Amino acid sequence: MKTIVKISFFCWLLLVLITPLRSFAGFPIGKYRFVVVPTFSYYHQKDRFDDKDNVIKGAPGTGFTSYASNLYVGYGLSRRLDLIVTVPYLYQQNTIAPGNTLVDAGLGDMTLGFSYNLINSNYIRFFSIGVAGIAPLYKSENEISPLGLGSYGTEVKLMYSGALPKDVASKGYFNTEFGYRHYYSTQGPDQISLTASVGYPVTQHDQLSLDILLFRSFSSNKTFNSNIYAAHDFFFFKPQLNFGHQISRRLSVFAGGFFVPFGVNTGIGYGGSVLAVVKL
Amino acid sequence: MKVSRYFPASAIFLLMMSFCMSAAYGQEETEDTGDLVMKAIPQNKEAVFNGNEKIRYRLKVSNNTDIVQEGRLSYQVTTDEGKKVAYDSVHVKIKGRGDKDLLFNIPVKTTGFYRINFMVNMPEYDDTMRRVFGVNPEKIRSQLHKPSDFDVFWKQSMEQLASVPPDYRVLERKDLSTDRKKVYAVEMRSYGGLLIRGWLVVPRDGKKFPVHYRVPGYVVTLAPNMDNDDFIAFDLNVRGNGNSKDVINIGTDNYSLVNIENKDKYIYRGVYMDCLRGLDFLYSHANLGIDTSKIFVEGGSQGGALAVVTAALDKRIKLLTMQVPLYADIHDNFAISASYDEQVFPFKVFRRYKAEHPGYTWEKFYSTFDYYDPQNFAPMVTCPVLMGIGLLDQFCPPRCSMALFNHISSSNKEFVCVPNSTHEVNFNYFMFQNLWIREQFRIP
Repeated sequence: MKTIVKISFFCWLLLVLITPLRSFAGFPIGKYRFVVVPTFSYYHQKDRFDDKDNVIKGAPGTGFTSYASNLYVGYGLSRRLDLIVTVPYLYQQNTIAPGNTLVDAGLGDMTLGFSYNLINSNYIRFFSIGVAGIAPLYKSENEISPLGLGSYGTEVKLMYSGALPKDVASKGYFNTEFGYRHYYSTQGPDQISLTASVGYPVTQHDQLSLDILLFRSFSSNKTFNSNIYAAHDFFFFKPQLNFGHQISRRLSVFAGGFFVPFGVNTGIGYGGSVLAVVKL
Repeated sequence: MKVSRYFPASAIFLLMMSFCMSAAYGQEETEDTGDLVMKAIPQNKEAVFNGNEKIRYRLKVSNNTDIVQEGRLSYQVTTDEGKKVAYDSVHVKIKGRGDKDLLFNIPVKTTGFYRINFMVNMPEYDDTMRRVFGVNPEKIRSQLHKPSDFDVFWKQSMEQLASVPPDYRVLERKDLSTDRKKVYAVEMRSYGGLLIRGWLVVPRDGKKFPVHYRVPGYVVTLAPNMDNDDFIAFDLNVRGNGNSKDVINIGTDNYSLVNIENKDKYIYRGVYMDCLRGLDFLYSHANLGIDTSKIFVEGGSQGGALAVVTAALDKRIKLLTMQVPLYADIHDNFAISASYDEQVFPFKVFRRYKAEHPGYTWEKFYSTFDYYDPQNFAPMVTCPVLMGIGLLDQFCPPRCSMALFNHISSSNKEFVCVPNSTHEVNFNYFMFQNLWIREQFRIP
């Protein structure tokens, strides 16, 4: 059971850490247009933070590695309303002891939802709300699976995005998101997140961006037990630096790297992601 | 572990919300300065109402002096032809550095545009704030004064244009080009053999681009448009405008009067044909990266009229965007202009001409101008349309612009009203126009 708990924990962490947060946030996609974002991510961890914020070294020869891909598809139903679907596919290697590696692969938690632009400030900045349902695309046993939380959920996000104020920078963009997730399981969890991103063009076709994610997951049951989602209560901070290149007006690619400098009950992970933004 | 220790989410969230709201409302009008400041805020942002809803204005008066101000605040509503339809007045007393908020319900239901004047009358202060609101603008109807041979007249005009060899010349202007864009000076022969010129700006970053075809305002010089990275910009100076003044070089006072007594020779016959010749140029130069399936025409004021005419006469135009289209519904414009305290263009010019030419009648004026009223072209427009108007516009009264708009055949059409603008629209409109064009063309 302990092994399953670990795998599920890693899996959950993986979803949070490498889900393509560079989706389109509060920016409306635009009526009748599609945005497709395929992402490939790599994540590795060996050590972890304990529940007192202390670093716990992983046993020699152990570690967790994940390769994940995610497909984001957004469609502008109107100028304000977008339909958004994300489908992840996960491949994980969890080495629990030298020579003993557990491998799991399959579809993860799909999200299907809408984003609605509430306030538009001169078509420069956008304040939007997103609501989505979360559905596991895998089989789970007692709501435990290496591929996700094993239960349905709901997500609500408030997003504010747009061009940087002129007195801050003559060009560039920002995105802020406040998200809340609830999983319909007896032990939750409930999760809140705050994301802040700033992007700045360095040439006509290249940009640098910095994403910062604060993530907190909590449950009324803080004791460790066989139900991982009820048992875990954790927090992490994750900065990610990205480089983006516009190949054409319809295609851009991004590559970035991240790490987790501090957290509670979470892995000291690092990794990277590569994604393409296709506008149709 | 306490949540707040690691995640002061509520505080951050509140900060974020506060930032959002301040930014969202930051676009509101800035505070005016003065001893007594009036601000009239329509209940609907665009000051356009449908007949079923209450028309309300909030009038905020700020006393920026230390003295108590006492007197009357009133409003008067007239039709756009000056007929009084509503009036109300209240006594107010505003303490020093104080504000007064008043809510006025305006008892108007009939379709049309109305002038509403807010007046403050106090012993030391008298002022009037002029505003305009609309009721059911989509239902405004006007009579088309289309001559029976209108279609034949323009068919013949186009045939005559086609008989003129264009003799296109395209010269790359390296002195004006940049590392991102190539600038070409172009010239061509148009209706009557006149030479007209324009500017073509082609982004270097790509092989094929949609085209922003801009036609000029009244005797306005169009220069190379370097502003857009995603479109080829083609700016045409029609005869008598900008660098197309070889033969016709007339100032604003008389440009619209050239041969006005002869419908066949009236200046706008050639001007309208110039716009089509510009389109011929674009179609014959696809090799420069022009995506001929995505050409939109745009113009403001006279340019708005030219854009309507171009889209009406030539289906190669795929989108039409216009602002404050000049000369629209010229008959009603005449009626509305009669109520002005001081005449403005275009009837300032036409009335002057009539006064200076005894025997010239309005019937004679219309016997020419009915061939040129852009409203008469509107039913022939079938492509998607976006129009922006300023509600305080006296050159192109909102009723006339909406009358034209409502005659447009296309079902894919939108309009934007800018309440406090005169003969112009605002930044917000152009941001929307950009979004609208990209939406229509399905471009990122």
